[in-house]
Amino acid sequence: MYVFASTMQFLTLLCALFAGGLALYDIWRGRNDMLPLIEKFHWIITVALLLASAVLLHALYRHAFELQYVASYTDLILPVFYRLTAFWAGQQGSMLFWALAVALGGILFAVTRACKSLNPTTRLWYWAFFYAIMAFFALILTTWSNPFLMQTPPKDGNGLNPMLQNPGMIFHPPLLFLGYGGFTVPSCLALAQAFSNRRDEDNAWFRLTRPFILLAWLFLTAGIILGAWWAYMELGWGGYWAWDPVENASLIPWLISTAALHTLIIEERCGKLGRINVVMMVLTTVSAFFATYLVRGGVVESVHAFGDGSVGTPLTIFVLAGLIIAFWSVFCAKAEGKPLAGPNSREGLLTLLAWVLLALAVIILAATLWPQISKLWTSSPKGLGVAFYNSVCLPLGAIIIIMMAICPWLRLRGGLNNKNVFYGLVGCMVISAAVLWANGYRRPTALVAAAAGIGLVYNAGVMFKNTAMFRSSSALGVLGAHLGMAFVTIGIAFSGPYAEDKDLTLAQGQSGQIQGYTATLLDIGNGRKPGYEYTAARLQVKKGEKIIGIITPERRIYDKFGSTQFSEVDTIPSLGNEIYASLLGLDAEKQLLVRISVKPLVNWLWIGGAMLCLLPLLRLLRPRSVSALGRGERNQPS
Amino acid sequence: MSHNKNTPIYLIAFLLFLGGVSYLCYFGFSENSIYFLNVAEARTASPDKLVNARLFGTVAEDGLKNPANGSGVIFRLEDKDNTAQTILVNYVGPVPDTFKPGAEVIVEGGISGKGYFTAKTLMTKCPSKYQKENRKS
Repeated sequence: MYVFASTMQFLTLLCALFAGGLALYDIWRGRNDMLPLIEKFHWIITVALLLASAVLLHALYRHAFELQYVASYTDLILPVFYRLTAFWAGQQGSMLFWALAVALGGILFAVTRACKSLNPTTRLWYWAFFYAIMAFFALILTTWSNPFLMQTPPKDGNGLNPMLQNPGMIFHPPLLFLGYGGFTVPSCLALAQAFSNRRDEDNAWFRLTRPFILLAWLFLTAGIILGAWWAYMELGWGGYWAWDPVENASLIPWLISTAALHTLIIEERCGKLGRINVVMMVLTTVSAFFATYLVRGGVVESVHAFGDGSVGTPLTIFVLAGLIIAFWSVFCAKAEGKPLAGPNSREGLLTLLAWVLLALAVIILAATLWPQISKLWTSSPKGLGVAFYNSVCLPLGAIIIIMMAICPWLRLRGGLNNKNVFYGLVGCMVISAAVLWANGYRRPTALVAAAAGIGLVYNAGVMFKNTAMFRSSSALGVLGAHLGMAFVTIGIAFSGPYAEDKDLTLAQGQSGQIQGYTATLLDIGNGRKPGYEYTAARLQVKKGEKIIGIITPERRIYDKFGSTQFSEVDTIPSLGNEIYASLLGLDAEKQLLVRISVKPLVNWLWIGGAMLCLLPLLRLLRPRSVSALGRGERNQPS
Repeated sequence: MSHNKNTPIYLIAFLLFLGGVSYLCYFGFSENSIYFLNVAEARTASPDKLVNARLFGTVAEDGLKNPANGSGVIFRLEDKDNTAQTILVNYVGPVPDTFKPGAEVIVEGGISGKGYFTAKTLMTKCPSKYQKENRKS
């Protein structure tokens, strides 16, 4: 059966190469008579990948430890849910999942009227690019990263690391891969229209693939937010973002795609930046592969390092080829030649916003690779720690939030569209900053970002008063996303710099204090649950005389993982100060070592993150509707 | 391309933006860059490079101690390729779950006057790295 699955992967490679070659041959001949045949090959590829995936899922379900992959990530006691989701626990399975996601995305697009409405030459170019990507996946799966490698079956598998047995971590990788994969269809179509030089306004690639762009961005956002939440709840260090290379790797495609989403508004409304948008969309996909290269190529030292670097070289070649094609497309695509309005217009500010987002992507990319780059001229490479990212990226992030706050009140071609509201916004931000300053929140970047975040909330309040807003699901989606971003900003601006941690050593009945909270150790208990032993501490937390709650952090020793102890943090959730406790252990005198943290407004990060991931789905309901934000613009002279 | 009267404005804006970002990066880099070294490189590095450095290595099997009071750990960090090269590390703070002899770790801090490396942060590899470990077992 596993030979069959490997054969399916090889069939994918053959079909992608053959069909891609046929598409190029047809383009070269200037004909399109083989187009129906070329398109049929994608069905074969998708079915082949579905069968291979089904075989892997079946193997995971029935503990087929004769597969190296199954033995590496599951064991006999792992619940079915975690066993099946081990599909993407390792490098080989996740590459198969990514390939399947891209193939299914291709099918979804192929059956749409949008695809059939395309010019045959454009379709040929589209399939040529699409099959090139599928061939690359299949090459990886059949050579360097095959999930169907066999072995003599052990009695039991290694099991999934307990830290990964968490819903946040289970859904974080597939969401990222769905995000990465979702940009494939729009990227290929953007390139196809650029290379075929055939596009009319109604058939523009970004209109035809709008759901793909939106869903891919949402998946990517959700993947990043879930990863941060998992780090916060599972790793026990109390943070959610450490600027680790692998975290940065997922942020780079997100920044580029977010920039593209905003420059696409300019193209959609004003017919400008067409060539730039093609490059941006292709760069999004290329950066997704680059992210995988960073994660799996063994190129940088990271606390994460999945895989053994075997896929590094092919990924490098693929990324370089993608970059060449992206910039080559600039010379192929039609130049509109329409001048951009000034920076005091909405289209100008959106352009500047894209600059800042792209600058952030470049800075994060260069900083992540700096240890490798500096090796070019020194034998003692330097790297950049968290402090660098915080001092460079966070101010740029604050600028982005200010731009977001101002942008809705600018007319498309220049000037303010509602002076009173705009001055109200400025006043709101200034007063917010002053109040925060007076209350002791004086870190400049956090202060500015929080004030701008409050400004975004003000914007949302003003717009909600406009009843026309509720007639447009699209506008509501945009507004919801921006309100979500406001909450994310406020959450980060407070929970980042103003969080406080304290390590306490407590005997039973003893108390420790942090930021006016008193934590008293009630008792320490030991016990056993299926698969692990645990030590749990119960602490009562009071603010003054008022009991806030009981917090119960644990340390666990799992049967499968030797003497390694795993921390299970506990929190007292709050929309204000969240109390977070991580059990560090017991000292020689059996006193409790516990880290208590106060995290101001941290839950607004998760609330805002959820809004950011879910509310833009409203845009899918009426994809052609025009945002109410710009409704008034359309009838104004440009 | 038709003439755009806004081009000079965007050019100036771009230069200002570039200048600002370059200043931020220069300031951030000069204040916050640290040496990234393996243990073998750290053993031969001049002391000034170890004032603020990030070391990569493996926790040695022997020499692991817990401090008498509070959380933390004292251990020997050995080079991944040459286990004869080690550095004594003293870390105060919460010890990550997956820290144990043989674990790949990253420490950040500096050499103290007492001759050991005082780590402000201790990070262990992400559990997905277990792929390699699993293969060995």
